Formats: sequence, C-alpha cells, structure tokens
Amino acid sequence: MRYSKGALRIPVMVGVLILISVRDCFAYVDPGTGSYVIQLIMAGLLAAAFALKSYWKNITAFLSRLLSRK
Amino acid sequence: MKANSGAFASSFRDPSGFVFTREGSVYRQVSRAYQDNYDHLMRSGLYEALVGSSLLIRHEEVGGDHASAQGAYKVLKPELVPFISYPYEWCFSQLKNAALTTLQIQKTALDFGMSLKDGSAYNIQFLKGRPVFIDTLSFERYHEGQTWVAYRQFCQHFLAPLALASYRDIRLNQLSRVHLDGIPLDLASSLLPVRSRFRFSLLSHLHLHAKSQKYFADKIPNRGGRRMSLKGFLGLVDSLQAAVERLKWRPRGTEWADYYEKNGYSQEALEHKKELVRSFLESMNPGMIWDLGANTGLFSRIAGDRGIATISFDVDPAAVERNYLECRERGECNILPLVLDLTNPSPSIGWHNRERDSLVGRGPADAVMALALIHHLAISNNLPFARIAEFLAGICERLIIEFVPKSDSQVQRLLSTREDIFADYNQQTFEDTFSEYFRIERCVEIRDTERALYLMEKR
Repeated sequence: MRYSKGALRIPVMVGVLILISVRDCFAYVDPGTGSYVIQLIMAGLLAAAFALKSYWKNITAFLSRLLSRK
Repeated sequence: MKANSGAFASSFRDPSGFVFTREGSVYRQVSRAYQDNYDHLMRSGLYEALVGSSLLIRHEEVGGDHASAQGAYKVLKPELVPFISYPYEWCFSQLKNAALTTLQIQKTALDFGMSLKDGSAYNIQFLKGRPVFIDTLSFERYHEGQTWVAYRQFCQHFLAPLALASYRDIRLNQLSRVHLDGIPLDLASSLLPVRSRFRFSLLSHLHLHAKSQKYFADKIPNRGGRRMSLKGFLGLVDSLQAAVERLKWRPRGTEWADYYEKNGYSQEALEHKKELVRSFLESMNPGMIWDLGANTGLFSRIAGDRGIATISFDVDPAAVERNYLECRERGECNILPLVLDLTNPSPSIGWHNRERDSLVGRGPADAVMALALIHHLAISNNLPFARIAEFLAGICERLIIEFVPKSDSQVQRLLSTREDIFADYNQQTFEDTFSEYFRIERCVEIRDTERALYLMEKR
C-alpha cells in the first residue's frame, strides 16, 4: 500500500512522545521543530477524521433532503 | 504605547509593516515586501468576507504621503479601537471567543488561498463588544503542503491558558502577563491534572506537543519534503476548534459575582443611586468612562446605554465573566468588561518595557466611576485618601465617587477582622483631601443609606 510506511510511523512517534518526560526548555533550545513534527503527525491522523466528518455531513445532508421531499 | 518616531513600540517584529500614529490618528504602513500578500488579501475577496462577518478590522487606504518611513507600498487607516486590552485582562469567555475567532479566520483564509502567519492573542481586540482581528498584515499566501506556522503560538496563547483555567484555576490566566509569547507548553503540561490527558485534543495539542518540543529541541530537522495536505490542515484547525469549544469554566461561589443579591442595598437605595449616576453622566456626557470595581456591570450599563464607551473593570474573574456574558446576550456594544486588580494594575511590559501598555498609559479617561470602592482601597489596602485622590486625578478628568462611612455595615464587615487604625477615615477628611486634587461639583446623600455620591472635576 502506498501510505503504509507513513501510517506506521505515526503511532510509533506518538508512542515515543508519550514515553518522554517533559522538563524545562531554555535559551538555545528551539521549540519550533517539535511543534512542526507534532503538527505533521496530528495532521496525518486528523486528515482522515476530517474527511470522514465531511462525508458524514454530506450523507446526513443528503438523507435529510431525501426525507424532507417525502 | 508609542516610540519616539510615532511608531507603536509593540509593532517592530513583522517586516510586513508597522503601526504608527500621526496627529491622533492610527495608521498601518504596508511594506513593499508584503505587496503580493496584501494584494491577494484585498483582491481574492478574503478581506470583504472577513470584514463582512465582523472578524477583521475594516480599513481604508490613504495616500502614500501619509507614509512614516521609506519602503511603503500602502498606508492604511484602520477603524479605531477605543481601548486596547490584553489577554491577561480578559475573562475566560473573552479568551475563548478570541480563540474561536482566530480559528474561524484561519478557516476562511484557507478558502481564499491564504493562511495566518501569527496565532497571537494580541492580534485580537474587542470592538463593539465582539472580538475582532486587528493585524491586517498577518495573512500570507497558502501553498499546498505547507504547515501552519502559527500552530505553536496558537497553542501557547489560547489553548494552554484556556485549559489551565478550565482544568486547574481561573487565576492561572495571569501567567500570560509573565509569558508574553504565551504559556510555555511544558509548563502548561506540568500544571494540568492527569485527567486532562484523557481528552485526545489536550493530550495531542498540549501534552504530546510539549514532549515533542523537548525531544526535538536539540535536533536539526530536515524540513524538506515533508508536506501537510490541505485536508490535514483543515483537520488540525477543526480539532483545535473542537478542543477550544469543549473547554468550559463556570463561575461559582466567588466573592463578588453575586454581590448585589447578598449585600446591603435596599431597593430604594439602589434605584436612587442609579438615578444619581444617570443624572451625573447626563451633566458631563463623557466620551469614555472607566468603571473601577464595576462588579457585574450594573452601573456600567447606565453609561453603556447612553452610548458612552465604558470599560468595566473588576478584580473578580467571575464578576467579569458574568458581565461579559450579559453584554453578549444583550448585544451591548459599548461595554468592555476587563479583569483588573486596582491595587496592582497592569504594568508596562515587554521589550523596553514598551510592548504592552500599563493601565495608566492607556488613560486618561474622560471620566471615572468609583462606586462602593473607597472603603476597599482605604481600609482593606491601607491606602491614604491622598494617594487614592492622586491616582484618580492621574487617570480622569471627571470623577463620580461614592463615600461609604465607617458606620456602614459593609465597612463594619471589613473592620471586624482588623484593628481600626483608620482614625482619618471620615467624610470631612475625604472631602478635604479630595478637594486638593478635584473641585467638588455635587454631593448627594443616597437615600436609605449613610453613603454619599460625589461628582468632581479635576483641578
């Protein structure tokens, strides 16, 4: 499958992040990279959820139109 | 707050342009470097869509001769915001509405091929009772595959303080006063209770986000080739929207939010006091009034209903929350409720102590109302009358102030837990001291009380 490699990476990354403990971030430390990475992971997960949500909205809209015709 | 050149001291980070004042008017200069983005904002229909939904501040383009510095592409004159407020002065629902406004703007921007490059809470101001985005230069062209550069800032400025207020304590919103670029996510994560990890949106956007920052802090990223689909982008914004919408805070059992129901005033006294405030306001008709110790805004509404721009300050976040929700419910556009501890008002902070203005720096107001406040300042906070009068004379031209004598039941309550060292706390000393700073125009005793209401003018 085309996306299988990327799809496997996401849960692995989430698992790694859960195991890391959070401590203070100071001067030379750049929080931007971590934000960039988590954003890509989240977008990967949420794209499917968002697509499902959109389809679901279309389906319910279609059904309500169908029912209102009757 | 303005720097010497007329440019706002808070407006220096963005190379796209800056804000400046000239002869009392506020302008925004657009740099040539921002030309492409500005043209797209104006020509794509995004500007009209956002202004039409009252999400973005309206502006007019003025001639290039208004430019304050070289390199101007356009000079804009935005609609004036009568009073600039900051996130650490907002109640929970104000911050929440500001967050949802930012996300709605981001969603609309994507529809028109643009995206926000900032997720700062300082880009939102309250105008006519509603949150509105004021940074017209925050929009950049969206290219399929790019990530949301404002994601971290949004989480720090909005999601973290809202989650902390909702899950831990409303007073944690004051952390925004210390952390001007939003609450660091590792700090938010450590302060939030374990149960917040059971909500997926908070687990991911706050806790895992903080851990990701920590893990990748000293790693050099390879950002080439990584793309975020538009669906992923929309899913991310949608998830943040759902996260913010689910965060709730219900004020209960605080000291002030149910003050009028519980305390001292008879109906006759309350009505007479309202009538006096109405008549004092009528006699001076100020453009802007600050109501200090406004509680839930009962007397602010008298000013607001007369079309006066009214800033309704109180120390209690619950009272301010109630005030704001009532304003929204009634569609009031003249009242801005804000959280303020008068004994420690908002200072000038940020770079050069100039980025965010102090309370005093945002004055003076045409008028100040200080109703049922003097005893809290003089007795609870040991402030001599002279210090109170000096402060008030520095922030207003006219003053409506209520004197509450020692014999009043509310003062007796304050004195019941402390030694009475306030020998000078009497009406005569009050009048004598305030007369050094103000001319007393009217003094009327409030019916069915021992209190008196004064109208004064600054000397």
